[in-house]
Amino acid sequence: MREARARWARWAPFALLLPPLLVLALFFAAPYANMIYISFLTPATGGGAYGPPLTLGNYRDTLGDPFNWRILARTIGYAALTAFAALVLGYPLAYHLVRQTGARRAVLMVFVLAPLLVDVVIRSYGWMVLLADTGLVNSLLAQLGLPRQHLMYNGFGVVVGLVHVYLPFMVLSLLGSLGGRLPELELAARGLGADGLRTFLRVTWPLSLPGVFSGTVLVFVLAASSYVIPSLLGGNQVLTMPMLVAQRVLELFDWPSGASLAAFMSAFTLLLLWGYVKLMGRAMRGIG
Amino acid sequence: MRGARALAFLAGVVYAFLLLPIVVVVLAALNAGDYLTFPPQGFSLRWFVHFAQDEAFTHAFVFSLELAALATAFATVLGTLAALYVARHARRAADALRVLFVAPLQFPAILTGVALLIFFYALHTKAQGTLSLVVGHTIICIPYVFLAVSVVLAGFDRSLEEAARGLGASPFATFRRVTLPIIGAGVASGAAFAFINSFGEFPVSLMLAGVGATPLPIELFDYLRFDFDPTAAAVGTVNIAMATVVVLVTERIVGLEVLYRGRR
Repeated sequence: MREARARWARWAPFALLLPPLLVLALFFAAPYANMIYISFLTPATGGGAYGPPLTLGNYRDTLGDPFNWRILARTIGYAALTAFAALVLGYPLAYHLVRQTGARRAVLMVFVLAPLLVDVVIRSYGWMVLLADTGLVNSLLAQLGLPRQHLMYNGFGVVVGLVHVYLPFMVLSLLGSLGGRLPELELAARGLGADGLRTFLRVTWPLSLPGVFSGTVLVFVLAASSYVIPSLLGGNQVLTMPMLVAQRVLELFDWPSGASLAAFMSAFTLLLLWGYVKLMGRAMRGIG
Repeated sequence: MRGARALAFLAGVVYAFLLLPIVVVVLAALNAGDYLTFPPQGFSLRWFVHFAQDEAFTHAFVFSLELAALATAFATVLGTLAALYVARHARRAADALRVLFVAPLQFPAILTGVALLIFFYALHTKAQGTLSLVVGHTIICIPYVFLAVSVVLAGFDRSLEEAARGLGASPFATFRRVTLPIIGAGVASGAAFAFINSFGEFPVSLMLAGVGATPLPIELFDYLRFDFDPTAAAVGTVNIAMATVVVLVTERIVGLEVLYRGRR
């Protein structure tokens, strides 16, 4: 009896783990594994069909098509630009936010994070209202007697939307490394006679590098895999990698090709990140 | 001190940038004109009336509420179980499990959507439709509940449970009368967060939506590709109001910051 109870006590916790583990294994891990498997199968003619034998043909086609490389280059270009712009905007905001206290800090924090809870489609719509040819910005320009500008359905609109949507993640990453003991260290530097610029370049910036690093990586990855914003703010003028993958899968039902394209996109993004990690690692070691 | 003031100004500009499109959506919804112009053309609720009379929108709205409710219910149970196990019983596997339970947040949702679509077809089920959407949204929502509950468990005093057991309560009674009331706030904010994220989820829905099973963001997206009259703004304003409630609730209980930590 006692032995049975002891055995029960040892195994009972697995009853907690089993349901969530099974659900994620079946509906998360298995679908990804299956997608990778399918990217090596031969597509048959006609909707959605595929089958053996195993082949590298999908990857050969994906890698051999210059169109895919152009779309990839554009996607990565936008993502890099977004990460850079988010850093430029997020840095002063995070620097300011970290130095606030109490209720003021809580309210400002809500301002930063609340936009994340609004449907991305709605946020993009807000930018459409602002940036359209008949939109708010252009109506303001007209009032001031300035010429109308073409602000969306192009790369500019896409990057503005991307920066807006992913800026909160940059701020969150920066908050960690701009807080802590950094304000004291800055005071010490100033006390030892360094001017503002020197303090920033020799103390603040080097110590914030880990946050800069994780923030740019995060925003880059999120922006590169965004679907809604380039579709709405780019119209049909701007095609990016996630849109291309969705198109292959939903409109052409070409799954092996769509799956290999998805793998291509993920692999290349990871490769770039790996290079970036190496570079930043060297930069941070040089300072530390 | 000139530097501090310049910094505050700069930060103010960025806050304005963050809030601008959201304010604009609310203004556009309350504005009488077909376009939001400067200056606005007077106050009107007609776009809300439009929304209420548009069958496609109201249908999608109700469907999204039902979908979010179901996904939240499943994700709340699964995420809470996972958090309980990882916090209390996982020893060496804790890190690996943590990575697993947060992973749906970190993989690009569009790829998760594609993978699920292909997978459901391979199982010869009806790949696109309500059932698939519930599964997909549940997967996407689990990390939020997991993170929120993990936070409250980290500050949990286990001697309270031991006291209850020592006083003769059964394990189930202990869970219901002691554990749940204490971690309840974390469970509730995780659930609120899961709900609002399911309600706004796009890429997974894009892949798995079927005939008669169109969530609101997809309906809005299709609408906005051809037309952007302020009916969309009225829908958006309702969404913003919901998000505000969730913000106020979660910020009180666990703090919003925590729920995004999984993204780092």
